[in-house]
This record gives sequence, C-alpha cells and structure tokens, in this order.
Amino acid sequence: MSADILIDAEDVQRYYQSGTTVVKALDGITLAIRLGEYLSLMGPSGSGKTTFFNIIGALDVPTGGSVKLGSRELSSLSTAELSYLRCANIGYIFQNYNLVEVFSALRNVTLPMRFLGLTEAEANDKAAKLLERVGLGHRMDHLPGELSGGQQQRVAIARALANDPMLVLADEPTGNLDTNTATSIVELLSELSREKGVTIVSATHDHRMLSVSDRVVYLRDGKVERILNRDELKISVGSIGS
Amino acid sequence: MALSSLKLRMGRTLLTLLTVAACCAFLLFLLTAPISDDPAERQMWGLMITLSLLVSVAGVLNTMLMSVTQRYREIGTIKCLGALDSFVMLSVMLESALLGLTGAVFGIIGGLVLSTLVGLLEAGAGVFAAAYWTGLWWKVIVAALVGLGLTTLGAAFPAAVAARMPPVEAMRGEK
Repeated sequence: MSADILIDAEDVQRYYQSGTTVVKALDGITLAIRLGEYLSLMGPSGSGKTTFFNIIGALDVPTGGSVKLGSRELSSLSTAELSYLRCANIGYIFQNYNLVEVFSALRNVTLPMRFLGLTEAEANDKAAKLLERVGLGHRMDHLPGELSGGQQQRVAIARALANDPMLVLADEPTGNLDTNTATSIVELLSELSREKGVTIVSATHDHRMLSVSDRVVYLRDGKVERILNRDELKISVGSIGS
Repeated sequence: MALSSLKLRMGRTLLTLLTVAACCAFLLFLLTAPISDDPAERQMWGLMITLSLLVSVAGVLNTMLMSVTQRYREIGTIKCLGALDSFVMLSVMLESALLGLTGAVFGIIGGLVLSTLVGLLEAGAGVFAAAYWTGLWWKVIVAALVGLGLTTLGAAFPAAVAARMPPVEAMRGEK
C-alpha cells in the first residue's frame, strides 16, 4: 500500500438478511482514499453511502473484504482497540448532529478528549478554542436544544476535530440545514480541511459539496459507479454534472 | 456525569424516582404493619406482600428498561466518540444506583409516614411506643436494598445490551 493512502478498502461487502432475501448494501467496493484528501461520496438513497461511511469509520463490520486505516486492518482489532482508534483517529459528523442533549456545547466537545485521557482543564481549554474557531465562542455553555441546527452542526464539527484526527467522516452534514447555513457549513469544512490537513470523507446528496471536493465517488446499488477528479467535474451556474 | 445526566433528564428521572419510592414506601408499610396471630390472616398478609412486591418489581424493571433503551442513540454516540463498553456499563449502572438510592430514601420516609398514620388510626397513641416499631432498622434496610437492587438490576440488562452493541446499531436505536 502506498504511503500516502489513509484508507484502503478492498472488495468490501455488506449484506443484510431481510426475510428470505439478501440485501446487498455494499457489493464489492474497492477504493483507496489519500491522506489530506477531501472526498465526497455521492449517490441516490440506498446506494450504500452511509453503509460505506460506517464501515470505514469502524462503526460497522463488513460481511466480506477488508478495510485498512493506515497500516491497521480494522477486522483484526479488538472492541477496545476499535474504541481507541475511533477516539484518537476519527472524527464524526452526522446529519442529525448526534450531540449529547444533556451536555453543553463545551462539554460535548470535551467528551472525546476526556475519553483520550486529557484532564478537564486541558479539554476545556482546547474545546473553547475549537468552538471559537467554528464561531460559537459566545454559546459554549448552551445546551444543544438551545442552539439552531447550523450551530449544533458547528458544535459537531468542533467535536469531530477535538482529538486532531487524521480522518473526519461527515454523513450528510448539510442534510438538515437551510441553504445559507448549509453553504456556511460546507465552507467551514473546506477551510478546516485545508487548515489542518485532515482527510475528509463526506457522504452527501448536496452538490455544493462537490465544489470543495478533490474527488467524487458515485455509488449505485452498493457499487462504485464512477470516480471523478475535481478537474473532471463540470460545474456551471444552476447545474452540476459530469 | 451520572449526576448531571440525572439532573438534566428531570422528567424521566422523576418518573423513575416516583416508581422506586412508591415501591419502597409500600414495602416498608407492609413490613411495619401490625399482623395478628391468626394463621389465616398471616397467610393472607404474606400473599399480599408477595403480590405487591411482584407488581413493584415489574413496575421498576419496566421503568428502568424504558429509561435505558430510550438512550440507545446517545449511548451509540458516546461509543462512537471512543467510550469503552465498560464506561457505558459503569455510567448507566452508577446513574441507576443513584436514582435507586434517592428513590429508596423518599420511599422510606413515605412508608414511615404512612405506617404512622395507619398506626394512629389503629393503635392511637400506642404508635409512638418503642414496642410498636420492633425491628424497624432491618425493615428499613430491606426496603432500601430492594429499591437499590431493583433499579440496578433493571438497568443492568439493557445497559449490557447497549454496551456490547456496535455503535451504528445503538445510534439507530435498535436492540
């Protein structure tokens, strides 16, 4: 495997049993994702974007094939090793934000740092800086329920960056947001990607994400349909196609 | 974490607290009530205690089960952020134990008040005699242990299931 490859997915399959039929959510996906790359996974609902996202994020296990994060084969890791890997190396951003509703914005951001062993003071200090960076310095003591959707997603972005991960996975990060807020979230992700050199993989329906992507992988029926580099995307006002 | 979680989930916490308190209060009331020497009445009383306990057990277990299963998504999220299975298990159990202990304290106070009021009706001023309350301490301890035990027992199974669940399944709220 090349040194600049962060994720190496080889013939990844994920099958589900639904009654008597087998649903092939992923049907042999092979994809290498480079360090520092901004990659978008596009495709219609049911194409396998979220399933692939979950598998490369060590949140779910494939039925077949292999996934390597750096040099580590995910299937060979124990539950505790996977927890550590998720905590130290991967940041997650979800469509529904998935913030802990009983914790303030600050405490939500400190959570992964505390799991990694930072003291409360260290974690608070770093979380405050991250919240300042995403424009929420003035709302860090608010509960998620007191924040707008866009603000909650900013908290989720700050939380994803808490442990300086090498990989940030964003599953439909703009899916629940209005147009203006979604644009600001896309811009923020793009800026942070450049600033911190972090690899971002985003499962999305949102064509705005294409303009900031280095590569776009189109999935259909659990397979890679095509892969386009940024220079191959035809972006024009009002429509984006290939 | 357990304490702040309890404080902020006030509605659900109060419901669970009320169930545990009611269970402990009723148990203590039954244990302290004067029982006659008539074997038939004693048998009836024993049956009543057993049935009441079974109903209370079912109530508390159901409340705890509901309380933990409703939090699968949150448990999935913290697992996703790096929480170990043991951390999930420990924090849920600690929260349940705190809840059980608080419920038991309220229940014991409620049970004693109820017993005193009924005693006043039946025995008049005799309720304030030390003899009326023979073996009170062990009865209080039994009621407290039942409250504490039921909440931790009720939380243990769903907490263990949630702790072992792959994060993605827990976040979907599936069992």
